[in-house]
Amino acid sequence: MASTQNTAGGNGKSRLTFADVKAGVTTAAAGTLAGNPYLPQIATIIDIIDETPNIKSFRVRFDDEAVMDALAFDPGQVGQLGIFGVGESTFAINSSCSEKRYLQFSVMKAGEVTSALHELNVGDKVGVRAPMGCGFPVDAWKGKNILYIMGGIGSAALRATISYTLEHREDYGDITILYGARTPLDLTYKYDIEDWQIRKDIDAVITVDRDFPGWEGRVGFVPTVLEEMAPKPANTIAITCGPPIMIKFVLQGLQKMQFTDEQTYTTLEKRMKCGIGICGRCNIGPRYVCVDGPVFSMAELRELPDEM
Amino acid sequence: MKFLAQDKLQAFLGHLAGESRVVAPVKGDDGVVLFRPWSPGTEVELDVLLPKQSAKEFVLRQSETYLRYGYAMEGEAAAQVDDSHEAKVVLDDPAERKAAQDTAVTAHAALVVEPVNDAPAQVIFGLRPCDARGFVQMDNVFGGYGGFYFDPYYNAKREATTLVAVTCRDPRSTCFCTSVQGGPASTEGADVLFTQVEGGFAVEALTDKGETLLASAEFVDAAQAQVLYAETVKETAEARVDAAFDLEGIQEHLRANIEDPGWHDLAMRCISCGTCTYVCPNCYCFNITDEMVEGRGERIRTWDNCFNPSYTLETSGHNPRDTKSNRFRNRFSHKFWYYPEKYDSLLCSGCGRCITHCPTRIDIREVLSVMGSERTAVPATTGEEA
Repeated sequence: MASTQNTAGGNGKSRLTFADVKAGVTTAAAGTLAGNPYLPQIATIIDIIDETPNIKSFRVRFDDEAVMDALAFDPGQVGQLGIFGVGESTFAINSSCSEKRYLQFSVMKAGEVTSALHELNVGDKVGVRAPMGCGFPVDAWKGKNILYIMGGIGSAALRATISYTLEHREDYGDITILYGARTPLDLTYKYDIEDWQIRKDIDAVITVDRDFPGWEGRVGFVPTVLEEMAPKPANTIAITCGPPIMIKFVLQGLQKMQFTDEQTYTTLEKRMKCGIGICGRCNIGPRYVCVDGPVFSMAELRELPDEM
Repeated sequence: MKFLAQDKLQAFLGHLAGESRVVAPVKGDDGVVLFRPWSPGTEVELDVLLPKQSAKEFVLRQSETYLRYGYAMEGEAAAQVDDSHEAKVVLDDPAERKAAQDTAVTAHAALVVEPVNDAPAQVIFGLRPCDARGFVQMDNVFGGYGGFYFDPYYNAKREATTLVAVTCRDPRSTCFCTSVQGGPASTEGADVLFTQVEGGFAVEALTDKGETLLASAEFVDAAQAQVLYAETVKETAEARVDAAFDLEGIQEHLRANIEDPGWHDLAMRCISCGTCTYVCPNCYCFNITDEMVEGRGERIRTWDNCFNPSYTLETSGHNPRDTKSNRFRNRFSHKFWYYPEKYDSLLCSGCGRCITHCPTRIDIREVLSVMGSERTAVPATTGEEA
């Protein structure tokens, strides 16, 4: 595991100075964010994948080869992807941690930055600040069954973690993936889905919200399908990400199935600006989604004000 | 302790101004006292206790460009790009269009991004101990306390700044520094403390930076009487600041009262203008925006205001703090619960500007007395605010 997590960076509880940063005292100052964590690295788009009618995946490579070589991140960590002149937004890094050729971000066209990103072509320049935040505790999950429950573009936030557990398949028990979207057209990473369905060592259930011409797979909302699947909580970690309303019902369902708060994880998104725990934008009570999250266990979330 | 005669103040500041920028409370033509860049001959206003704004603007700029970038269109290559682009747009030969696109990509390859971080040496003279402490309280978040990120922009200015505080002789009725572990002669954060005595100031250096300042020839050793006078001024002032609320257990009470309907009642008359956040010496939350004209742009950070509904509004339309009382609760909880929990420091130095400048007379002392203490069970209100 890459030690890029930025909590309690070995310096205990003291304030840093320019000298400390220069000396590399803080792990938060390591890697691409050394010195000036506001300064994006310039990267080039090397590939664009049309995932759905409104989601594109961008594969980007840092122009500075040394930065590219040194890049290491944990599954579940995020990055700020931006266009100079428009702004930055936070996206999950959804390429595998073992992928050394590029970082992949999936972008749903929605607001100012995402719409501008959708206009870009291969070869265009973007600014990237990554990795940021804390990833999933995949080491602590060794030996456990893993249940992924995701909806829509929530898949992007879990893709690197799915890749990690599949690449280290022998370290984990049963792996189950429940993925749903509104229509078959809205399913992301169809190339992954094909792979999951061929593999014998994982159980993948793909569902769409309602009947759709030509769709012969499962039909039903994710929380409903989850209830039908009735997963057993014994020695299992459940990880969910999707639209807020889906997460809400999935969490209720898991609780009904006797999953404890410690067994249940999600990854949150919030409006962010600095991405480094300073600007004050993405707090939920005393925690910042950008540095304390975006990954939270249900046990952690219960301590916080209801401001999800 | 040193002594500076009143009629030597201009000479001392003039001396400082020769080496760095001097910022001091100065009355403008409109009669408003603000911290402004001082120039020789300008009168320093110390009779008005607090300038309308705190001095935070000189370290955490209200608006600050921190990156400049350009899709560099300078020189020969750029000129060619422009020409070819103009010409090719009207052509629909695929090969030529491809060539034009390649040229455009080449232009992008000339993208240049540069950080901007100007931090000239400056002395802020005449700020009150609460304002000096305000900087100390903000330092932890910008200084990567606990292993978080270090902000090079704030810290460059902070390190280049010397703070010369002046003891409050005549605290206002809205002052509550003593309730938040400060005082009218608190030295935390200050490099030098001036105390007004007869005929001038009793002056003490508190840091090495401060010592350097007092090396100036205008200072003489203070007489014993002046030292005693200064002590009396401090004690008298201290006694005049009323205890506003009990800090003991406030974090736990705010946590326990998070869903208390009292927040709704207190927030009722708030108009979400954000004035309290702008005049506050340690409200630091900021926004980041890009501005670009003709291929050259800047990334800018500006003070922000957590009372604004769009502060947390997401693109999808979802708003995690969708009611006014939630946003209201956030500011007070940030200062007395969230920030202390993360950074072991309060985020309020008791200057009382938020009280005097609030257009609807919301009083932080009342809010904390009510919500920061044990609440007796109240039946939940049924109505939700607009």
